[in-house]
Amino acid sequence: MMTNKQSILSKLTNPKYIMVYATVGIFLAVYAFGAFAYADKGFLTVRTFVNLFIDNAYYGISAVGMTMVLITGGIDLSVGAVASLTGMFIAYGTSVLGLHPLTCIAAALVMGISLGLLMGWVIHCLNVPAFITTLTGMFFARGVCSLISRESIDINHTMFDSLASWKIYLMKYSAGKWVRIRPIAFINFNVILFLVMIAIGMFILQRTRFGRNIYAVGGNEQSAALMGLPVGKTKILVYGFNGLCSVLAGISYALYVKSGWNLSLQGGELEVITCAVIGGTLLTGGVGYMIGTLFGVLLKSVIPALITFNGNLLSWWGKIATGLLLLIFICIQRFVVSSSSSRK
Amino acid sequence: MNKHFTLSGIFQSKVTWAVIAEALILLVCFIIRPDFFSISYQPSTGMLYGSLIDILNRSAEITIISMGMTLVIALGGTDLSVGALVAVAGAIALKFLRWDVLTYNTPGDYTVYPYVLVLVVPLAVCALMGLFNGFLVAKGGIQPIIATLILMVCGRGVAQILTDGKQFTTGYSPFRIIGQGSFLYLPMPVVITIAVVLAVALFTRKTAFGAFVESVGVNSSASRLSGIKADQVILIVFMITGLLSGIAGLIYSSRIMSNDSNNAGLNFEMDAILAVVIGGTNMAGGKFSLTGTIVGSLIIRTIVTFVYYFGIVSEATMAFKAMIIAVVIVLQSEPVREFFARRARKREARLERGAA
Repeated sequence: MMTNKQSILSKLTNPKYIMVYATVGIFLAVYAFGAFAYADKGFLTVRTFVNLFIDNAYYGISAVGMTMVLITGGIDLSVGAVASLTGMFIAYGTSVLGLHPLTCIAAALVMGISLGLLMGWVIHCLNVPAFITTLTGMFFARGVCSLISRESIDINHTMFDSLASWKIYLMKYSAGKWVRIRPIAFINFNVILFLVMIAIGMFILQRTRFGRNIYAVGGNEQSAALMGLPVGKTKILVYGFNGLCSVLAGISYALYVKSGWNLSLQGGELEVITCAVIGGTLLTGGVGYMIGTLFGVLLKSVIPALITFNGNLLSWWGKIATGLLLLIFICIQRFVVSSSSSRK
Repeated sequence: MNKHFTLSGIFQSKVTWAVIAEALILLVCFIIRPDFFSISYQPSTGMLYGSLIDILNRSAEITIISMGMTLVIALGGTDLSVGALVAVAGAIALKFLRWDVLTYNTPGDYTVYPYVLVLVVPLAVCALMGLFNGFLVAKGGIQPIIATLILMVCGRGVAQILTDGKQFTTGYSPFRIIGQGSFLYLPMPVVITIAVVLAVALFTRKTAFGAFVESVGVNSSASRLSGIKADQVILIVFMITGLLSGIAGLIYSSRIMSNDSNNAGLNFEMDAILAVVIGGTNMAGGKFSLTGTIVGSLIIRTIVTFVYYFGIVSEATMAFKAMIIAVVIVLQSEPVREFFARRARKREARLERGAA
């Protein structure tokens, strides 16, 4: 029993988790700052916290796939455009063609996953840099978006509306019965999808052979190949999975704004990469955890929330703050990497 | 200088494929509309007009930036911040032309600050921002793509805050010359591009600097051991890229005579990187080809002009561009080039046997 406890402790204090702790620590610090500064405006309420999830679920869902791609040492710039294209599929399909949303979603899934697999194939088999391949994928998806329509299309479908407005109110037990907490807070389909995807991502990375292959490929592709691991299959499947995540993010975004627009989520790919990087994933590959990405998303989304609560700052300060945050994180990462390599 | 110009060698060069691609696109243009190549002279403006001139003119910003980007990629890095720096340069220039909005609330032919400052300060700030990128990479040992991601994320924020989120317009005629004037029958941006290309080419090919860049790109610790100051090379390359982004920013804002912090330079980093890679410079670093980069930049612009000129719905531009670039990239990929080079080698071997 005692040894078991010790092993858990030593597992938790493993230096490989230090970046995750840094992310969690800085998130708590920023959150505590908000709590002190804007407690009177209600920053501490459950609603504010839950809204961080509701307003950023689509970035989070996409960040799950992106984390895996980054761990293999690749990059995917097409996620924003693919998510936007998914929204266009749903909007154009339901509102103009009169299709059922599920048909549109199925079409979007086929599109996203096959585009991802194709890009993975080009990257691995034709040896084209991931940056260039996925950039072309981004241009392509964005172009198809604009071909479908250049104007924003509203999504009007009873099933879609009911899914978008479906919510679970958070309750508390008081005076012998369950009542809704005040101010009213709820979680919706997007939040659940986000958390489920994080859990799936965690499971894949930590508990499956595929997950271990991802780390191995990212750590050193040549050694992985020499060990007989299926490098090509892993890389291609990772891009396919990321395509799936982009489509799910697009569905989530469509549920959030209830419309499709060809220019939506422009620059979204860099937001998602930023989330993963401040969550402790290294762009050189081989290092990253899903739980870090979860807190990376929260950390990135708490900054706009703080600026909204302040009320006097131009929203542009959010961008500058995010840039500074990146700088801090990169410096910490640099410090950790150099100290761990000097220990060896 | 023992370069053998064999068929297999030519097929193995990526620059060849870029030139072939550009020639094919232009050929298609010519077949569809033979007057695509016609150039006319307009005495009133003293400028030449025609689709080819237009391609050169409109590709100016990307060509200028991609000159710096070529060096960055030859070092084995990428610079994502160039688009944001274009916005910063425009914002500063317009702020200096129209500093006090209350006194000068109508755009006219005036500048509030001396014209020299309007030109020099944006360039200096952009060069400093480039130096900041270089500092993170050289002294901090941070991967270039991440180091430059910082300025890419917050550069536009800086540009917006410098101008208080406002968009100024100006009518100052000396400023208009940069983007809309002409010199020796050519549009001014083309002239500036030629000057920049010559300067970069002379600096890298007539001094040892180009060789230093390639050597650091191949193996930075080995080149440090052989006496090259790798840190200095990196700092200079990123500073040059920042400066060139500033020049592109001045051209861009002079074309629209305004600052547009949201859209100025949007996706320029992507186009510049594409131009360099299509031009045959390997993203892993090492040898670079400035000629290839110019061809790459022209390919990108020719595709867009093609789409406009032939009245293909402008919404299709992006998808069209993606497909042509995909074809070029697949043609340039290692297996395909190997395939053609092998066939050429076989033919050469056959010829040699026939001669013997």
